Amino acid sequence: MDESRRERFEAVAPELIEPLRRFLARRTDAATADDVLAETLLVCWRRVAELPEEPLPWAYGVARNCLLNAERSVRRQERLAAKIATVDPPFEAAPAPAEADGDLVVALAALRPDDAELLRLWAWEQLTPAEIATVLDITANAASIRLHRAREKLKDQLRKTAGAAGHEGSREGRRP
Amino acid sequence: MNDEQLQARLHASDPAASLPPAAPHEVARLLEDVMATELTTESRETGTRNRGPLTWLVAAAAVLVIAGAGIFGVRALTGDDATPTADDPVVGATQLEVSAPAGNAKCMVPNAETLASVDIAFDGTVTAIDGDRVTLMPSKWYAGGPTDTVEVTAPSDQPTDAGLGFQFSAGERYLVSARDGQVSVCGFSAPYSDDLAAIYAEAFPT
Repeated sequence: MDESRRERFEAVAPELIEPLRRFLARRTDAATADDVLAETLLVCWRRVAELPEEPLPWAYGVARNCLLNAERSVRRQERLAAKIATVDPPFEAAPAPAEADGDLVVALAALRPDDAELLRLWAWEQLTPAEIATVLDITANAASIRLHRAREKLKDQLRKTAGAAGHEGSREGRRP
Repeated sequence: MNDEQLQARLHASDPAASLPPAAPHEVARLLEDVMATELTTESRETGTRNRGPLTWLVAAAAVLVIAGAGIFGVRALTGDDATPTADDPVVGATQLEVSAPAGNAKCMVPNAETLASVDIAFDGTVTAIDGDRVTLMPSKWYAGGPTDTVEVTAPSDQPTDAGLGFQFSAGERYLVSARDGQVSVCGFSAPYSDDLAAIYAEAFPT
């Protein structure tokens, strides 16, 4: 029993590590990413019997929950710190990409967090709607409808941002 | 902008693009650390994972109390005396029984509409079977409860699976619903399956 667990985990886990590291690097700072990666693997190890045939989306789902937990406890600590003393705003640890697509960052930030997350799973993790459904624990149907709507909202936002900035059309490929 | 262009544009701003791959020895060490971790034998839903030892102690005490009370027979629970409140400690046991359906009972396909009318519905794992008494540890309450354990009793003159259509076995996970202390039969209670869980989730939206 214990040996077969080990075999299964050793067969699956190395494949999961790299995508999970990326998943976490996109969403949190380096220290939290390391902690949450270890925690996520631990959950996979504990529940190795429940690992589905295609384990990655499931593992993303676990990582997402672990990250939400970690962020909740960070928020608790921050509230406590705020009670004790007035502190400076936390240092933004994640550096922006060298050539930040400012409009896109603004447009993504303007979406509801759920919509933005759907789009990230789609574009960064390159998941299909069915896989996104596994990560978010929703039905495949709901995932593909929400993804469709989120894409339209992002396009709207991008149009708005571009319009407001007054440099519409300055970037090639923004409009079809 | 079409979807492909949108995806490409998003992809271009992937913050992990410059992340170097982890060194192989670090990966190996991480995996060894994880596998060296002591495992608990139970695999439970994350919902109960963080319960403190005190909760389990109280649960254990509750099971003992219920075992003592069991000799006075099964008390049907109407669901009124276990009003769920978020902050109360979860203790006690819900008691249910299985009785064979009338001879000509017809089964309908489980559906959320009918299921929504039950007063107890939960997702739980069998922790003990003692004669005709089955103890379950719920991991999720859809309706009624919450209590730490649920005891299901079937009359001793018939096998446990009479009417239910399945037999409880220790360590397995089940979806169970009940009305007026009587376990719903005909597929409304069954070993855990994603399909039935979806019906439960639909019947009791959170």
